[in-house]
This record gives sequence, structure tokens and C-alpha cells, in this order.
Amino acid sequence: MLNLKFKRYLATYLIIFFANSMSAEEVLITNANIYDGKSDSPFIGNIYIKNGKIRNISNNLFDVENVIDASGMIITPGFIATDTEIGIVEIGALSVTRDDTPSIYNIGFSVFDAFNPNSTLIPWNRANGITSAITLPKYSSSPIGGFGSFFDLDSKLNISGVKDMVMVGRVGGSSSGSRAETFALIEDLLDLAYSIDSKIMKSNAEITKFMSEIPLVDYLDLQIRDIQALYNLAKTDLPLIIESNRASDILKLIEIKKKYNLNLIIMGAQEATLVIEQLAESNIPLIVNPINNIPNSFDELASNINAAARLEDAGITLMFNAPRDHNYHLIRQGAGVAVANGMSYSGAIKALSSNVSKTFRLGSKGLVEEGASADLIIWDADPLEPSSMPIKVFINGLDTDLTTRSSRLRDRYTKSLDKPNIYR
Amino acid sequence: MKIIYIKHILSFAFIASLSQFISSENEPFKSTYFPMPYSNVLFQNANIFDGDGNKYLDTDIIIQDGKIVAIGKDLPKSEDIKVIDVTNKWITPGIIDIHSHMGVYPAPSVQTSSDGNESTSPVTADVWAEHSIWVQDPQFALALKGGVTTFHVLPGSANLIGGRGVTAKNVQRNTINSMKFPDAPHSLKMACGENPKRVYGNRSQAPSTRMGNAAGYRKSWIKATSYLSRLDEYDSKSEEAKEMGYKPQRDLELETLAGVLRGDILVHNHCYRADEMAVMIDIANEFGYEITAFHHAIEAYKIADLLADNNICAALWADWWGFKHEAYDMVQANVAIVDQARNGKGCAIVHSDSEIGIQHLNQEASKALAAGIRAGYDISEARAIKWITSNPAKAAGIYDVTGSLKVGKNADIVLWNGNPFSVYTLAEKVFIDGAIAYDRDSGYEPVSDFDLGILNPNKNRIEE
Repeated sequence: MLNLKFKRYLATYLIIFFANSMSAEEVLITNANIYDGKSDSPFIGNIYIKNGKIRNISNNLFDVENVIDASGMIITPGFIATDTEIGIVEIGALSVTRDDTPSIYNIGFSVFDAFNPNSTLIPWNRANGITSAITLPKYSSSPIGGFGSFFDLDSKLNISGVKDMVMVGRVGGSSSGSRAETFALIEDLLDLAYSIDSKIMKSNAEITKFMSEIPLVDYLDLQIRDIQALYNLAKTDLPLIIESNRASDILKLIEIKKKYNLNLIIMGAQEATLVIEQLAESNIPLIVNPINNIPNSFDELASNINAAARLEDAGITLMFNAPRDHNYHLIRQGAGVAVANGMSYSGAIKALSSNVSKTFRLGSKGLVEEGASADLIIWDADPLEPSSMPIKVFINGLDTDLTTRSSRLRDRYTKSLDKPNIYR
Repeated sequence: MKIIYIKHILSFAFIASLSQFISSENEPFKSTYFPMPYSNVLFQNANIFDGDGNKYLDTDIIIQDGKIVAIGKDLPKSEDIKVIDVTNKWITPGIIDIHSHMGVYPAPSVQTSSDGNESTSPVTADVWAEHSIWVQDPQFALALKGGVTTFHVLPGSANLIGGRGVTAKNVQRNTINSMKFPDAPHSLKMACGENPKRVYGNRSQAPSTRMGNAAGYRKSWIKATSYLSRLDEYDSKSEEAKEMGYKPQRDLELETLAGVLRGDILVHNHCYRADEMAVMIDIANEFGYEITAFHHAIEAYKIADLLADNNICAALWADWWGFKHEAYDMVQANVAIVDQARNGKGCAIVHSDSEIGIQHLNQEASKALAAGIRAGYDISEARAIKWITSNPAKAAGIYDVTGSLKVGKNADIVLWNGNPFSVYTLAEKVFIDGAIAYDRDSGYEPVSDFDLGILNPNKNRIEE
């Protein structure tokens, strides 16, 4: 068994950029109906924001210039999208705008440096209620590998986020090979990861020498970056998201998690309800799309619209995703559908906010509480109704612009119609 | 003389009966649909969106022998009718999806039953979607639970002219003919833009450009026009001359296109960009056919007036975008802008093109409505429900019998447990031709052969 103490979460491996975009603004939001992301029911209160943080939540009034009366309105934490291509894919079918796929580094590939803060997906998802996102690479040919990063969706070129805070992987039915081999490969890679002596990590020459002794390196065409990535996975408590759906695959992943003491998150998990007790006992959080009830493959036969409710009942930590295609805010609609089919309302709010920050250790993101970074949304109506929209979106205390390219196009074709459209 | 006269009469009668024989009794792939056993029901105190733009609160509705027989306050009970109190619940017409690939792209999504695109030639007007439909697709039942009573299945968009679409009732049967909506016209799927030029351009074959696309449609219509004139010429001949000559040889591809030119087959045109839709309207005018609906039409809002002036519907998503360059200019108010064109003369449809979206078309309409209201339009829920009921019924050519709650129409209705524009509202009961097809309370729902015993031999797929 591995030494737990050895598996500390080494923050030194993570590059955190949160401080970059704190707003110096002072804002007081009064009489809001607050869903704080952790409580089971909302409460009425005033929220005082200063220097990018929530400083006070109470009935107190502060003498500030910028006061927003939110009477009768709902406030939630800024929602966090868990499984996105935000910043690394602009147009799906246009490969020159895609930066999600590596060709050399299978395990050590990081999407971070590709992130484009000017992507149109950022204002779009922000205006629809997403304040931050985890951007993940596309799966590589290795069953585990590729780093995702966390980003604030504040459109600042000075990026605010956490680099390489999660590794991804996938196992399941495919048109080539057997999942039995995929599992064997995952274990071989983890064995390799745990066999790396910290001493060799100091020089590339040492790493190269180490690599020359490992047959798997040749077979998988591993590079130095890949070895460094495996080392980081073994030596830190790095979250590892593995996409997998079939009940028997989930059981095997539970076994692997225990064997290697991994910080494992299972994504997809369409058959999770068939192994609900084992999952609950394993404490593995799940990322699910609650609106997806399609038996879309032979791995997903148990797909069911009430899965989120049943998994919540079993005490499993849930987060939501939506198809990796631009509208990541649709996790709200998914959450609404989950509630319509039996999930608790507060549980759905947590799945969109604090469950993500807890699972991926993003500090106070996803929470409306004193000391938390001021990522919060004032809604025009119930945030789980897909017809609702934010009125205000604060990110790190900044009252962000909700204009989008889409809203500009709408206005061009519906306003000032006396002028030719290209002069509007 | 007399003998000849009689012979003429006989041969005329013979030919007439023969042509009738071919056109109706021997018509292939005819609908053999029959309704399930009727429920005769008086719904009391319903809130109703009738699909024609009206809202009635606390109103009764009676369905009998498969039809809607009365809507009004305090309707009388009769002995042979079941009374259901639906206070605080809502009734709408059955939802109609004008853009579905259920059956041709069934679940599970595997190569062996992925039968929606005959992408072997840019013009395949000879193929019919109904010949691909797998009737055991478990997606039909999921759509039914979302209130969908009728759906229109189209071939995919790889081809300029992809083939015939078909309208089906959402009753799972062992043959597609027994699901086909009686007397519904066929449609013709056409596709603009990136898909055909990508599919064939990648093979260094025409079309590889949008101008190649346009040339491809026009060449096909030229052939179809000539085929149709040969048919018409033959038909206009005297019976004697017909006996002497040959009837033009059947051609499956041109039969479909000639059907469009004759107005029997409705054109459903996948087209995203405004400028391309305008080109397609010109092509339709050049050859004298009508476009019933543009599908996806991300940029319909840019030419909403042009669409209204040409009586063309736009079948749209509420918010999809960005997966292709031609889908980049999405606005959430697209549906509303199309709807409101020329003082409300526009025809807007909310479609799914998705096995998940089809289960929540009410929510998609709700998003589109909210976006329209935010854009400054005064649109009621009663009007917005048309986007998923009467407007798609019109575009499918079946509005005379379904798509709204009018006395005499088919009793295709959904009972919702709340206002259908809320995400929390679920379809509670769904009736197709007055027969109960789904009942959430009793768990009465169709189960496809695929679902049977597939995870646990003793249970259905998602049975707990």
C-alpha cells in the first residue's frame, strides 16, 4: 500500500493565477435571495464585495456608492462548467481553430498555453451564467493522459486560472482493441508512474536513461514530458477524470482507484445506477449529463433520466456536464431536468458550483460566503429554468460585461432598422 | 364503328382502372397505420394551449372515437366516457418534431444501423428514409414521454438532394408502414453549404464549393423538368396514341423530383446561411417549385421578411451554434424574429435534430420565447406553442388533421402536469388518435424489442 503522507497535494506543481484579475470595486447587493452553494435552503441577505472578495454577508448596510437592490431576485455562485473546450476550440468543424488534440505528447500534453481569452465562447457562456470552466483536451491515444486547466471566464488577456489541475483518460468500448487491454495499460502506466524515483526527475539525461529501460516507453512512444506527467500524477494528489460508462468498467475503476489510491473522478457514468452502492462506498465523485438518457452505445444501456436523483440519494457527489459544443451553460437546463426527475434543488445548485470546487480544490470558487472570491450571479428568474438569464455576473468582484457577439447580431437585425444593416 | 367504340370504351376503362391500380392499390409502401383502442375521455378544468394561438383556462375537452369532439366550459358528461379532473394541469396538441433522425440514426449509435446518409453520390433523390428506419429504435418511446406524437424523419445532409423524408406517428410497430402517418405527403431533403461540399470535395469530386452546390441542384432540376414534360406529354396523348407509344421509363430519382415539381412532395432544405437561403429561393423560382421549410437556418433572422414573403417556414434550434462556420452567427431570438416577420406572418418552428432535444421541445420553445421577449417582442405562450405543434404540422402537410386542438381533428394531445414552458413540467399522459400511448402515473409505456432483457433477462432496459 502506498504511503498516504507521500501523496500530499503538492501545490508547487500547480501554477495558480487567481490574483491577477481582482477588482478593486466596492459593491453592495441588498435583499438578495441567496443560494450560497452549500446550504440546503436559500436565505435573504446583503452581500458586500470589496477587492474581488465577498467581505460580508449579513443584514448590514455599508456606505458604498455602488448599491444593487436585488429584492426578489435569486443569487447563486457563479456556475462552473466541468468538461469544456472553452478557449481551445472556436469552431468545431474548423480544424485551424482547434487546439484540443496533441500529436506528440500523449500523457504530458497541456492545453493551457492554447487558451484564448478572446474566444467568443467566453462572453457567451458568461452571459448565460458560467463564470469559470475546466477546459479539457481531447483524449489521446493513451488511456490516461493530457492535462486540463481551470479558467475564469473574465475575458482578460492576463489569464486567471489554475494550470494543469487535472489529468484525463477514457476506457470503454471502441472499434479497435479490447477494454481488457486498456485496463492493463492503465495499470502498467500507473505502475510505471509509481516506479519513478524523484532523483531522476532533476535532469533530462537521467529521465532519458530511465526511459531506455522501460519497454512500454518505446511501445507508446513516450517523451520526457509524458514521464514528467506520470510522475506528477503519482507524486501528487492530482485529480484524474476517467470517462467511462459501463457498470463493469466502473467497478474495475473503483478497484484501480483503491489499488493506487487515486484521486479519481468518473465522467459519463451512464450505468452508475447499476453499481450505486459500490460507487457510494468508494467516494468517487461523478460528472454526469443528467439530460442524457440515450442508450447511445452498448456501454450506456442503463442510461436513465432519473439517474442524477438516484445517485444523489445514495450520497454520491455529482457534477454536471453538457455536450462539448459551445453551450456549456446548458448544464443549467440539465440541472433543471434532474430536479424535474427527482433531484433536490439545492443538490442541483451544488452540482453546478461547490461540488466542482471541492472536488478540484478550487478554494472558495462555487461558494457565496465571506472570504470567497466574488464569483456570483444575480438572476432574472429561477436559474434552473433554461429560459432564465443572469442580470449581473460578477467574477472576482468585477461586474462583467454581458454583451456577446450574438447579442450584437440580434440588435443589428432588430434595431435602428432605418439604416442599412451594415451601418447599424 | 360500334365495335371500335366499344373497344375504346373498354380500353379506356381498362387503362383508367389500371392507372388507378398503380397509383393507389398497388402504391408501394402505403400507410397501414391503424389507431390503438380509443379512450373516450372528458378532461375537466384544463388549462389549454390549443396550438392555433389561443389559451383557455379552466376549460373542458372531450375526446371520443379518436377525435376531438368538444372544447368548452362545463361540458356535459355522458355515461360511456371517462372523466379526468385536470385542474391546474395543461393540455396541448401532441408535439410534432419536423426534424428527426430517429430510426435512421437509432440508438445505440453504431455503424451497422447508421442509415441516414446515402453519401455515395451528391444527388440521391431515389432513396427514401423510411426504408432505413429501424422500428425497434428505443428513442421513439423516450420522445413519446416528452409529448411527441408525430415526427418527420429526414435523410441526413451529406448530399445536395438526400432523398425522401417520411412522417410517422409515434406508435412503435413492427413495420414502418404501420407507423406512417396516413396521407401525409413525402418530403424531399435538400442540403446547402458545408456538408455536401465537404463530403464530396474531400473526394475531389463535385461539389467542392458552394457554387458547385448550386450547379448541382440546377442540373438535377433541369433533368427533372425534362422528365416531367415527357410524362405530361405522354399523359396528354389520346388513348390510341398511348397504345402506340411507350410510357417514359420509370426513374426513381426523377420520380421524386417530378413529385416536387408537381407539388406533391414538400421540400425541406437544410440551409444555415442567409445568402445561401436566398440563392435556394431563386433556384426554386427558376424551376417552379416551392420550399416548405429551411432547416437549422441559423441566419434566418437576417432574411426573416424574405422568408415570410415566400411562405417559407424556418425550422430552428433555440441555441445551437459554433459546431460549423456556417453556424457561427446564432442569435437566441432567431425563432422569435422569424415568427414576428411582416407583423407576425412568419412561420417559425422549433425542431430538435437530436434524440435528446426531441424529448424537451417544450423547453426549447421556452428558451426561444424568453429570448424573443428579451429582444422586445410581445409574444404569448399560446403563440409560442405553435412552434412545436401547428407550424410543424403545416410544414409536414398534416395540419388538416392534427397540430391543433380543433373539433374534428385527431385527438393527438398531451396532458402536462404543469405549464409546459417550465423545465419542471413533465408530460403526464399522451394520446395518439384518442388512444392512450403513455401514462406516467401507471407506468404504461411502450418498450421496444431492443429494451427487452438486455441488461437483466427479467427486466426491461431501464426498469428498476
